[in-house]
Amino acid sequence: MKTDFIRKPLSLPSEAWINEQLAYYGGPAVIPEDSRKTTFPSITKEDIVQMLVSIQQSPEAVIDEFTEKYRSYVGANYAIATASGTSSLHLALVGVGVQPGDEVIVPAFTFIATAQAVVAAKAIPVFVDIDPLTYNLNPALVEQAITARTKVIMPVHVHGLPADLAQLRALADKHKLRLVEDASHAHSASIGGQLCGSIGDGAGQSLMADKNFPVGGEGGIAFFKGREDYERALTFLQETGIDYRMSWIAAAFGISQLDRLPYYDAIRARNASYLTNILAQTKLFKGPHVPVGHKHSYNMYRIKLDPEAAGLGDLPDYQVKEAIQELASSEGVFAREWQNVPIPGHLPFQNRKGFGRGYPFTLSERKDFGYHIDHFPETLKMLRSTLTICRELRSPIEYERIAAYALAFQKIDANPAIIRELVLQNTAAKKSYERDARLG
Amino acid sequence: MAHTTIITAPEKVTPVIKKEQYFSLSFVLSRVLNSGVIMSIEKNESELKGLEKSIGKLTQSKYVSLFNSYTGAVHAALWGQDIVHGSLTRLEGASEQDQRFVNWLGVGLVTDSEVSQGFEKVTVTWDNLSRIEQELLPKLQQSPVLVLDFTELGFGPCASISVNDESVWTKAERLKIFGAFDLKTMWTQEEAEPDIQPGAQFNYRLSPLVAACVKLSLLRRNSSHED
Repeated sequence: MKTDFIRKPLSLPSEAWINEQLAYYGGPAVIPEDSRKTTFPSITKEDIVQMLVSIQQSPEAVIDEFTEKYRSYVGANYAIATASGTSSLHLALVGVGVQPGDEVIVPAFTFIATAQAVVAAKAIPVFVDIDPLTYNLNPALVEQAITARTKVIMPVHVHGLPADLAQLRALADKHKLRLVEDASHAHSASIGGQLCGSIGDGAGQSLMADKNFPVGGEGGIAFFKGREDYERALTFLQETGIDYRMSWIAAAFGISQLDRLPYYDAIRARNASYLTNILAQTKLFKGPHVPVGHKHSYNMYRIKLDPEAAGLGDLPDYQVKEAIQELASSEGVFAREWQNVPIPGHLPFQNRKGFGRGYPFTLSERKDFGYHIDHFPETLKMLRSTLTICRELRSPIEYERIAAYALAFQKIDANPAIIRELVLQNTAAKKSYERDARLG
Repeated sequence: MAHTTIITAPEKVTPVIKKEQYFSLSFVLSRVLNSGVIMSIEKNESELKGLEKSIGKLTQSKYVSLFNSYTGAVHAALWGQDIVHGSLTRLEGASEQDQRFVNWLGVGLVTDSEVSQGFEKVTVTWDNLSRIEQELLPKLQQSPVLVLDFTELGFGPCASISVNDESVWTKAERLKIFGAFDLKTMWTQEEAEPDIQPGAQFNYRLSPLVAACVKLSLLRRNSSHED
């Protein structure tokens, strides 16, 4: 039988591992090669039974049950289940009134779907740099990007850390703009107890397989605060004929998974807190900054590197990052790049083909769209000097695994001379954004 | 007051799956759920590849691309042939939904027979499934792109395009966020197809769970009784 059951338990962690030889040079890996797999989503008997129940119902009833259940969990007023996160963002944008040629402000650091959803709404994405601490859209830079064509500010709760919605709301109100959340990483994340997805005028959220709340491969959901916006989104679907419907199979999976979401959230929060506390004791590594009152959902966990504190400040930051990535990987911890080029540097924004013949970019009077990556120094700096743990921490991993991750970073931290040696050997290393753009 | 709704595509009423198919479909869904990460962007996703192969055989086509909706497949059929915003095309027997969607894409519809037919389409249903080869036969040579719509089988929106021209397929895959070429770039770290660049991209990726059900239905299309 084909199964994803993990058959080999990890050894109980020991601090003695920190002083062992690095795996890169032949020492024992903190996580042995045959024990590195993590699984998420966890499929349980509840998922199977729900599928057996749902198959006997009408597709509409299953989707309706899921939509209502999750809408109520998030605390949004209105919801439309969709086939993907991108389509949910598209619907959120047209729902709040985005028209062809309007401008929508988005962060330069996100997944490409944020900006492609703007193009799908036939609007122009205007990219703004990120805050150096949170890596979210920097409200201090948003105001100077607002023009007479701006209609929406669309922050992204990157990795699951809520963006500064209070400041962005103030800006939106001041300039009579709408606020739309891209909550694709932020299931159960909150500000002051209010869940992401329910705070803006509209929101889109991905429910695909690599999210904290996945619904059987692909799915999404759009949320609206006002009835008028919600109805505008429904009218758009009718008028265009576009089919963004979610499959009932995804909805059935969502119904059973939602019951266990708080449990998985709690494990992720526990593990992230454990890792952040250990990293704080190292020179080289620092966990994510979480502002007071914000609840991070840790869809991804971005680690900030501080070469200077480890006596490596004379070396190029991106080369230090690459050396650490190599060492971590050989210890069995997949800390990697997630995004390597700011989104405006990706091909669809460089060539601006859009729907063909440059539409909707041709609706803009801009000569310069501001898509050169040099306009986003904080994003570039972040890409040079951070590494991300993705599925390996998103999964509800056991104590011994998160402890092993922490020990691996401690082991690397204890070996700055070897990092220096690797940097000096690897003279061919390039900055991530000098390579071709990848989507993840 | 809070409210939710489900999206109903115009002119389509999704039928309920027939009772005699509950067991085999439940079994296949359980098997896929149990087999690991259900991810349409996984390099080795076998359900999607399996469905592509079945459709390729059925339509006698070299290349197949899957979509999470009929309109996604229509978009790809046109985009793959460079019928884009500002272009004209002809769609004989276009439904109201076809007309509205193509209009939204910015593509003009004409009746002039000098203009080539944009694509041929076949809707696959439980009623025509067992004689689908005969249904397809007259359509195979009529247009370089054949759209199959599987939505009425009841697993959720699902469609495909079948083509023999690799460049049409390449462009169609380029329309999908994390389609075949974005995926290659992920693994190789190099842009997979720099000459055929993406423009607007949509997430038209199909869930492997839906693909598994459609594939099973196609494979068992000639069985009169199920389990």
